Amino acid sequence: MSHRSDTVHLPCGQMRGQGLGNQGTHTQPVEVMLHVKGTLEKHMVQLVAMRQQQDLVPEEQRRHQATGEQEALLDSLMYQLVNLLQSGAAGGLGLQPSCPSLDVRGVVGGGQRAQSSRWPDQPVHQRNDPEATFVSQHLSNRGIDISALFQASFQDYKLYQGDKYDEDKNTLGFINLGISENKLCLDLMTERLSQSDMNVIEDVLLQYPDWSGQPFLREEVARFLTYYCKAPARLDPENVVVLNGCCSVFSTLAMVLCDPGEAFLTPTPFYGGFAFSSHLYSKVELILVHLDSESTAAHPRLFQLTVDKLEQALLEATLTGKKVRGLILINPQNPLGDVYSRDSLKEYLEFAKRYSLHVIIDEIYMLSVFDESITFHSILSMESLPDPNRTHVIWGTSKDFGISGFRFGVLYTQNKKVASAVSSFGYLHGVSGIAQYKLYRLLRDREWIDRVYLPTYRSRLQRAHRYITKKLKALGISFLNRGSGLYVWINLKVYLDPCTFEEERLLHRRFLDNKLILSRGKTYMCKEPGWFRVVFADKPLRLKQAMHRFYQVLETQKLELRVKQPESAQCE
Amino acid sequence: MFTLPQEESRAPAPCPSPASTQDLDSNYGDGLERERSRKPDWKLPELCDSTTMLSPDSSYLSSRGRVIKWFWDSAEEGYRTYHMDEYDEDKNPSGIINLGTSENKLCFDLLSRRLSQSDMLQVEPSLLQYPDWRGHPFLREEVARFLSFYCKSPAPLKPENVVVLNGCASLFSALATVLCEVGEAFLIPAPYYGAITQHVYLYGNVRLVCVYLDSEVTGLDTRPFQLTVEKLETALQRANSEGVKVKGLILINPHNPLGDIYSPGELRDYLEFAKRHELHVMVDEVYMLSVFEKSAAYRSVLSLEGLPDPQRTHVMWATSKDFGMSGLRFGTLYTENRDVATAVASLCRYHGLSGLVQYQMAQLLRDRDWINQVYLPENHARLKAAHSYVAGELRALGIPFLSRGAGFFIWVDLRKFLPEATFKEETLLWRRFLDNKVLLSCGKTFECKEPGWFRLVFSDKAHRLCLGMRRVRQVLEGTSQVAEEPPSCQTEEPRSRHREM
Repeated sequence: MSHRSDTVHLPCGQMRGQGLGNQGTHTQPVEVMLHVKGTLEKHMVQLVAMRQQQDLVPEEQRRHQATGEQEALLDSLMYQLVNLLQSGAAGGLGLQPSCPSLDVRGVVGGGQRAQSSRWPDQPVHQRNDPEATFVSQHLSNRGIDISALFQASFQDYKLYQGDKYDEDKNTLGFINLGISENKLCLDLMTERLSQSDMNVIEDVLLQYPDWSGQPFLREEVARFLTYYCKAPARLDPENVVVLNGCCSVFSTLAMVLCDPGEAFLTPTPFYGGFAFSSHLYSKVELILVHLDSESTAAHPRLFQLTVDKLEQALLEATLTGKKVRGLILINPQNPLGDVYSRDSLKEYLEFAKRYSLHVIIDEIYMLSVFDESITFHSILSMESLPDPNRTHVIWGTSKDFGISGFRFGVLYTQNKKVASAVSSFGYLHGVSGIAQYKLYRLLRDREWIDRVYLPTYRSRLQRAHRYITKKLKALGISFLNRGSGLYVWINLKVYLDPCTFEEERLLHRRFLDNKLILSRGKTYMCKEPGWFRVVFADKPLRLKQAMHRFYQVLETQKLELRVKQPESAQCE
Repeated sequence: MFTLPQEESRAPAPCPSPASTQDLDSNYGDGLERERSRKPDWKLPELCDSTTMLSPDSSYLSSRGRVIKWFWDSAEEGYRTYHMDEYDEDKNPSGIINLGTSENKLCFDLLSRRLSQSDMLQVEPSLLQYPDWRGHPFLREEVARFLSFYCKSPAPLKPENVVVLNGCASLFSALATVLCEVGEAFLIPAPYYGAITQHVYLYGNVRLVCVYLDSEVTGLDTRPFQLTVEKLETALQRANSEGVKVKGLILINPHNPLGDIYSPGELRDYLEFAKRHELHVMVDEVYMLSVFEKSAAYRSVLSLEGLPDPQRTHVMWATSKDFGMSGLRFGTLYTENRDVATAVASLCRYHGLSGLVQYQMAQLLRDRDWINQVYLPENHARLKAAHSYVAGELRALGIPFLSRGAGFFIWVDLRKFLPEATFKEETLLWRRFLDNKVLLSCGKTFECKEPGWFRLVFSDKAHRLCLGMRRVRQVLEGTSQVAEEPPSCQTEEPRSRHREM
């Protein structure tokens, strides 16, 4: 079964259609019936149309690709319908699900496929988990949806917030190697931010700002990016928009570049936060370009993104009637730690230009390249961008400076229309004037950054990376060794039997039970089970403790596998 | 309740009222019939025309992106002009004076001194890391204590009911998203603080249904622009009949731009109305500590014993106005409804506030001595002095206005200066002010249905205020259709008075 590209059907609340995009919500059985009818008709037309184009790709594959989405839609419509009928007496919105979703899928018959295209699986188990069921008579359907999605996505985080490991006070607390947070330089940052130049309070900082960011900060950001991205010409402060975090930047871009139900292409595995962001407010879908975890003769590098793959995913999406508006790239990549070569970058941009796609490129780890043999090429370093009006760069201080609590993200785009439209959201994503001033002081202190901060940060990253990879090697665990980012992408397939996402989830759970938070491949929409992301940007002591817990869990897992193995074959 | 001199509040009544006052105050049946034949006016202002205004080469943007951009391009034309030519005493004395933005510029000295004290400097690693998205627990505790005290809540408020985010704009946006489906609506008495339209629309795609108030005084116990349950009922019914689903009611108390304060009795009536119709009530109390007339007994909704529908009552507060820090981006929600709090918190990842600023806010709100003994008395005295100066100027010009001793602004009736009672004329007058380098906000931006009302912000330093008022006077003297005369420049007296403050 091919997984080349499929639409992400994000977790929804109890009874809304999944991934319906602009299809809206149906509160009346008749409405749903009509929609079912319409979709069935479209489905039939699609099948006929595909039979007529048999020369394109193998029949079986295409059938799946093009119909999977409609099947998923039919599933959810049927699901809605059954719920509406059953809860009719309850009145109101009838939000309580009363039958397991799989039964409903059975009605349509595309159940397995629909499920395999769904990301992440929390919502599915949410449905079966009465405690997590989120029903409120006071919220709108999308409000319920948002709450449910948040709770499902941030369960680990919540656990962690309430019970953090502390070497003195709480040695049994959670160690978080799941969230990509740079905890290596909090000492340096604390010291720098405590210096007296940071504490200036001027009238202008307390007044309504320019909603695209205080001019002094935008100028500094432009200078900063010119220097660190090695831009061939000075970047223009007018092209900078400052918001409270990169998620906000991404969210506003999704709003102004796409209408509901339209889509972005994105290679996977891929930072799950963007999937979350694209769903919450903007209802933009993601077309996944699944990368191969095995090397081939043509592409020896694991998880290599190629233009072929992009072309194919785009074609398939277009065939299913999806309107694709852009491509999302993360460079350095999260979770792979990959850095794109200048040539690859250029190819991706040329591809996007051919199809008039926007490119959103997230360079939030640009200063976190710790392997000296690797050169990072910012997109802003290119002499000429293929399609500058459709190229939008995101950067922030959360990762490179380890201050995720600062809430600061930047958009750089030459497209004035996009910058203006995003600035409309400035009111809703504003950064405190006081914080803007501190950021300004920080970014302009080039001497400190170059002489103190970056060298220390990188050598600490190197050391932590060395430590983690040594431990992994000792355990015989394979991983990608890429030299940037705060994490390693590791392969725990041999610990799964059978090799399924359910087993992956159980292993993740097992880590949690042992007070270790890791994030698993499913969260990154990885197409095959067994991959985990381990964040190593933490203090040596905590890392050591974490690796100890890691080892314990895997040992237990090994023992259990041995018991299991006589009965079933181990996955390769 | 009415504490200001009677002539102020009654003043607008004698002025000829423009055409459109009859539709809302009439009795139900007739009114409704008439309304049905009218075009729905719950629209987003001018949004329908916006497509025609869009440049043809906007193909980079999605269709909603074009509408969103239109907000940016059109909404704050005056402010952009202002920002390019801001008045500065030394560097740009002929620049524009801003009496349009509702900001308190009277207490920067006090605030910057307080915010520079050593307790504000604390930088702790936890403040630099990802926070609890509802707000750091230490801040939510402080907010709960603060609101318990200043809202005079009958029982201590709970930190679990507090959600902290980057300003009330975000709060409106988040509430609209989690309480309404796309295209549903909130009721709001108009005139109202116009930016709310954008806040609930941008992400939420939620509309506002105006409950139009008018300046006409109909009975002994009424005042201009008074909100009544009858008007709420009428507006709600009309929306229903037009197929608009209304999910809630927005109240601003103290009111912007009217400067009005709801009595506990009125508040309760509105809340009961909302309860009858199962509407959420969002009470924006962002000016609650900016009541500078002691006699204007303000009551927070959190002070009421036994809210009619606590699960549907959501209170908003921020430091933007009361602490004159609109650039700080700190807002907070108080709601007993856990589902609503959780849903709003689920969006807080997008509306977060820097950890260091959260720490400073906690320090500020905790410093009850400074607030009670230094900041509030001084702030109120300065507001009062500025207010009486502007009120005096307006009286001298024979201009009627409304003001009840709360907020930073006076709602000014300039209808007699419009040759015709149209919004076109209102805009022309507004532009004449701008051309004469003084920025005001006109009634249209507050969805006021009578052309000719302006909001004049007085919470500015004496010299700017004085110059601003002189420029206002120049324009009115040049254009006044009615009165020719006005008194000679009285800047000397008030200026010296202001120097004392």
